Amino acid sequence: MSFKTLKFTLNGEPMEIPVSPSDMLVDVLRDKLELTGTKKGCGKGECGACTVIMNGKAVASCLVPALKAMGANVETVEGVANGKAHPLQETFMDLGAVQCGFCTPGMVMSSKALLDENPKPTKAEIREAIAGNICRCTGYVKIEEAVEAAVQKLQEKR
Amino acid sequence: MSAVKIDEQVAKTSGYNVIGKSVRRRDALAKVTGEAMFSTDVKLPGMLYAKVLRSPYPHAKITKIDTSKAEELPGVKAVVSVKNTPREKFNTSATMTFTVPHLDPVLDQYIFDDVVRYVGDEVAAVAAVSEEVAQQALKLIDVEYEQLPAVYDPLEAMREDSPDIHTGCHEGKNVPGDIVKIAMGDVEKGFEESDLVIEEMFKLPVQKQAQMETHAAVAQVTPEGNITVWSTTQTPHPTRMILSKVFGVPHSKIRVLNPPYVGGGFGVRIGCSGKAEPIAVALSMQAKRPVKIVYTREEDFTASDTRHGGYVWAKLGVKKDGTFHALELKGILNAGAYCSFSCEVPGVMGAMGLSVYRIPNENFVGYTAYTNTTPAGAMRGFGNPQAIFPLESVVDMAAEKLGMDSLELRLKNIMKTGDPWCLPYPCGSTGLAECIEKGAESIGWERRGKLNKPGATKVRGIGMGVGTHCSNAWPFCVDYDNAYITIEQDGSVQLATGVPDIGTGTSTSLPQLAAEVLGVDLDTVNITFGDTASTPFDIGSHASRTLYAAGTAVIAAAKDAKKQVLEYASDLLNAPAERLDIKNSTVFVAAQGLTNSCSGSGVCKVGSGERTSITMKELAAHAHLRNKQFIGVGRIVPPNSPPWEAHFAEVEVDLETGQVRVIKLAAAHDVGKAIHPAIVEGQIEGGVLQGIGYALSEEIKYNDKGRQQNYSFHNYFLPTAEDVPEIDAIIIESNDPSGPFGAKGLGETGLVPTAPAIANAVYDATGVRFKEIPLTEERVFFGLRNNKA
Repeated sequence: MSFKTLKFTLNGEPMEIPVSPSDMLVDVLRDKLELTGTKKGCGKGECGACTVIMNGKAVASCLVPALKAMGANVETVEGVANGKAHPLQETFMDLGAVQCGFCTPGMVMSSKALLDENPKPTKAEIREAIAGNICRCTGYVKIEEAVEAAVQKLQEKR
Repeated sequence: MSAVKIDEQVAKTSGYNVIGKSVRRRDALAKVTGEAMFSTDVKLPGMLYAKVLRSPYPHAKITKIDTSKAEELPGVKAVVSVKNTPREKFNTSATMTFTVPHLDPVLDQYIFDDVVRYVGDEVAAVAAVSEEVAQQALKLIDVEYEQLPAVYDPLEAMREDSPDIHTGCHEGKNVPGDIVKIAMGDVEKGFEESDLVIEEMFKLPVQKQAQMETHAAVAQVTPEGNITVWSTTQTPHPTRMILSKVFGVPHSKIRVLNPPYVGGGFGVRIGCSGKAEPIAVALSMQAKRPVKIVYTREEDFTASDTRHGGYVWAKLGVKKDGTFHALELKGILNAGAYCSFSCEVPGVMGAMGLSVYRIPNENFVGYTAYTNTTPAGAMRGFGNPQAIFPLESVVDMAAEKLGMDSLELRLKNIMKTGDPWCLPYPCGSTGLAECIEKGAESIGWERRGKLNKPGATKVRGIGMGVGTHCSNAWPFCVDYDNAYITIEQDGSVQLATGVPDIGTGTSTSLPQLAAEVLGVDLDTVNITFGDTASTPFDIGSHASRTLYAAGTAVIAAAKDAKKQVLEYASDLLNAPAERLDIKNSTVFVAAQGLTNSCSGSGVCKVGSGERTSITMKELAAHAHLRNKQFIGVGRIVPPNSPPWEAHFAEVEVDLETGQVRVIKLAAAHDVGKAIHPAIVEGQIEGGVLQGIGYALSEEIKYNDKGRQQNYSFHNYFLPTAEDVPEIDAIIIESNDPSGPFGAKGLGETGLVPTAPAIANAVYDATGVRFKEIPLTEERVFFGLRNNKA
């Protein structure tokens, strides 16, 4: 197997790592870079647990060949808290949006991608943004409330 | 009511310092930052990766298995199969460790057998330096099968001409274990004396837990033979017992732990996580290196327990005035290829189905039959949803026949505190009447019948369903709990309990109980959980029991520790222990209040000062320097008590497409006491949505080759964020006399009466009674069309 050097920006830092053409981004993140916050729930892009933000868009990292990230700006859940918890993380914690926690990183990333692009989303836009993220614990009620509350928090900051 | 409002209410009325408050969960920060460790994240030096070869046939004899080519593949370190693994029969579910003494657990599985009984059954496993190499090696295993006849339906499986899936079925063809029979009064006479008898058959689907983290285990075997297993189990201690039996290693040499987080459970891993734990251990023993196995989502679907589908008959006898007089329930459920919890599920089904209403003459018969499908086991509700959908459907049918409001009919017949019932523990509390009242108010029950305009193609309806459950597994299983509370030398508190936190927040709510009893600041209480090496035995997280049962042990341990603290403080504060109490982590003389200054009173001498109080920190340090530590032990057999719930659904049915949309679901739950209101709401909301899935979209079907047709999130239809209706989680507190600060079970009730509430609402909207779920567009479309014709 021929390895190639993947060069990209990961959570704001330049990163270089040898990967094989068959490696998926999720496996490079989890196994090679040991950033296990990105979860793997299906490996087929059906559950959203592996969601990361690539060039500003939420993507299922299990569907992204690692070499597609060449030169890209990739953000994982580990990069969201910048010294202190992001408002989304605060509201997830405070409003009971976390249960088993396995979908949480993906939910945080999908919501963050939404808020980065659209700081005042409607309820329907929030639902659409997390519709690809399956949560089996919460019934999504408190997750939605947490995203709405984070929108408020971010507005107040501005 | 929102969590915040409840907090305010509690603060005003209860006088509790810690419980009743939605404090930030202990696991929240780790989980939102991605730091939280799950089994699938564990990585050890030298660790190998495992893959499993699974049967492509629903029923076959393995006539030859040759693993030599796989073993020769570079990077392969161990191959295990029927040839080199223990011939020790077991049951992957914890039932083999806690079946009650008058019954024998059904042990019908090996890690690998020379017969495979469903598509996905384990044939062999490989450990290699990577998953890719292990996967490649599977293709080099040479297996020859002699196909056997297969059967997929439980009624068919019981016929004499069907294949025997297992031997030793003493109750009937392919029926594992013992038939469950529950009876009260004289049901024959009861029906004779009834003015109206409704009898119907219902068909229930196979539902999947679909917890987000697939099954996983990492096993490490030391040269001395000590085994450590990190895994996704809901029951570390019973899982250790299973591994001990399979491998013939003493309990004391095995450690099973969660790492510490588990990505959901919903019953699927009460015992082993599929077969992840025993396969990882078998491979690690061979390879003499740590071995990790992570199930793919497809393996999780096809090769680990599902909910039981099957057939249920319900017969209700009613007097003219609406008094329920006789009830008969019968269930024949699909066990799948191995027994798992198939002997217990019918028991809970009958017990819960017969306990909602006060009926003098009742009868239940229930059992399962083996088929060549994925094994069925525990899933949230554990037989109860299979009883309540039929029961609450016939109750609605009776109301219509009698010309009564179905809500009034229910109110007239529901169980009251102290009523006789079939369970061996009393009905200690019920807030069901209040649940019905509050739920009806939320949904606007009075709007029923006035929702639709003539000729509309989308019609609305409102329906309800009620139910109960248990707060732990007794008398269906052995059930007891232990907890330790250690007051450390600095006065901080270490709580150890053997239950895991599978997402239900026990690592937050159990410390809340300890802090409340001890009178200490919650922040000073740490908890160790889900680890057999550092916690005392506990049967684990299932049966809605964790807070109620493990919580009872935590309270006992905290009371024991507190007693020791107060006795020790008695000398220092110069007052009898009975007059002392602890508040804000300070021991004080109750009559004199919380003050650090009592200059001149001369009642207390610690160091050079004189006081009527002493902080836990000072006290623990004082004790330490005099060779003393406070260790509280809680050893309890929990009582049991029924939680209650009333669900109200408003639906919209598209008459042209058959699509059912839930507009609102009001779920009022008598939880006894909400220890952490936000967690309580989360349990209700999550349970409701799983119930909506059960009612509308979730179903595993098999084709004629025994293959699952719904084995991934792509073709098994879980509700997504866009499917969520307005859910009103209503908390009713009946303050149960037996539970921790009045709390009862809660983990399963959210699912239980959701399906009948929706089906009854669909009837209200369309006038068509559906006796089979899920109410998919196809089923509803044809149901509506056939009804017209």
